[in-house]
Amino acid sequence: MEKMNDKLQKTAKELLENKEVNLIIGFTKGSNPLRMRSVFITDPDDVSKLSFNAHCVQDLAVFLKKPEVKKFGKVGLIVKGCDEKAVNTLIQEYQLSRDNIKIIGVECRGVVKQNLADKGEDSVKQSTVYDKCLVCEVHTPLLYDYLVESDEPAFEINGDIKPYAKIEELDAMSVEDRNMFWQKEFEKCIKCYACRQACPLCYCTRCIVEKNTPQWIETNIEETGNAQWNMIRAYHLSGRCIGCGECERACPVNIPLMLVNEKMARDVFEKFGYKSGVDINAKPVFGTFDANDFNEFIK
Amino acid sequence: MENNIVEDVQNARDEKEYSAGSAKGEDKDKEPRIIAFVCNWCTYNGADLAGTSRMKYAENVRVIKLPCTGRIDPLFVVEAFKKGAKGVLVSGCHPGDCHYTSGNYHSRRKYTAFRDLLSYLGVDINRVEFSWISASEGNKWVSVINEFTNKIKLLPDNSDIFSKK
Repeated sequence: MEKMNDKLQKTAKELLENKEVNLIIGFTKGSNPLRMRSVFITDPDDVSKLSFNAHCVQDLAVFLKKPEVKKFGKVGLIVKGCDEKAVNTLIQEYQLSRDNIKIIGVECRGVVKQNLADKGEDSVKQSTVYDKCLVCEVHTPLLYDYLVESDEPAFEINGDIKPYAKIEELDAMSVEDRNMFWQKEFEKCIKCYACRQACPLCYCTRCIVEKNTPQWIETNIEETGNAQWNMIRAYHLSGRCIGCGECERACPVNIPLMLVNEKMARDVFEKFGYKSGVDINAKPVFGTFDANDFNEFIK
Repeated sequence: MENNIVEDVQNARDEKEYSAGSAKGEDKDKEPRIIAFVCNWCTYNGADLAGTSRMKYAENVRVIKLPCTGRIDPLFVVEAFKKGAKGVLVSGCHPGDCHYTSGNYHSRRKYTAFRDLLSYLGVDINRVEFSWISASEGNKWVSVINEFTNKIKLLPDNSDIFSKK
């Protein structure tokens, strides 16, 4: 870890000193040793704050959509492989210019679930990491300007792993049972919109839920509006969600939002062979079409 | 005296209309409502042709005309369900015939994903129907509406996540 932090700090310092970037967004130690928080660095002397370990769960790409960050112009971002896909998607959707970002990719070996870390869990194991880490294909980010290699070994995966196993379970259920399941989950929603705020790809300056002429989505905490909100967010993210899992982590009432997002990602891949956040030159899946698209459901 | 008669007649008529109306109202509750979102250029004209040709089809359908299937946001479908529609039909031009070149292709992609999402969240996918109906296909409109209405009538009266409790 020390070697990794040294390289991270050296890279950041060089970037700031050479005025290649005006701001570095990275991780620093939080108040609790097993929690990492985000840090914004503009002064090259402050780079010693930068650090990385298996508790860096947050997707820092979320800050790229903020006007406070945008005003800095050129920004350096420290990202894990999964979060880097959000940067790719933002570039794909013209929300970010490739010239304005320096990506400092870190090789990540998986991050520890925060609820376990809060109880003192410090080891990266099959049982302690997030589901997304079990199927991770991007331990090394797909796109980066600088790469900081990990000096930790990869964790071992034993047996038959089934991340998001609940999806298959839900698929096998009857429509009524699925309805019951989601009704129960969405009932909990308190409409705090933390899922939206934590999402690096929810960048609309005016969200559909804030549009009130007409009011499409009811803002009171009732089933109708709750289901509508969660459904429309999943729909707006289908084919875009990069699976960082921040919405689910941010949710104060623990709605398993990744079950919907992951399901939609699988469906989009199955129907259109598209994976989000992989290629910055690819057209977004719903921004294009093919004359031979799936047509079976249309009379 | 004359006034009284007039009043009586009026009252009687009102009563009659009222009772007839309420009977109709009950029927309305039993009859499922279907909302059809159609495109201005093909399906709407197809439905119009069915009308001008005096073809008969199920009266459960309410047609809402929009410029293009590409304009039919999935939120419209949800809104229809929320307002109590039992079925929703989305219909537009055949592939290659779109007035705006590609609106229906984009719409097809959107709805492929949206259908999966609806079904995954526990909405019976038989309640949403899609079709391509051109301006000359009045009879296709009739058969699509009739078949869809029959299908909807056979569905159990389940609530979904969008209906108020």
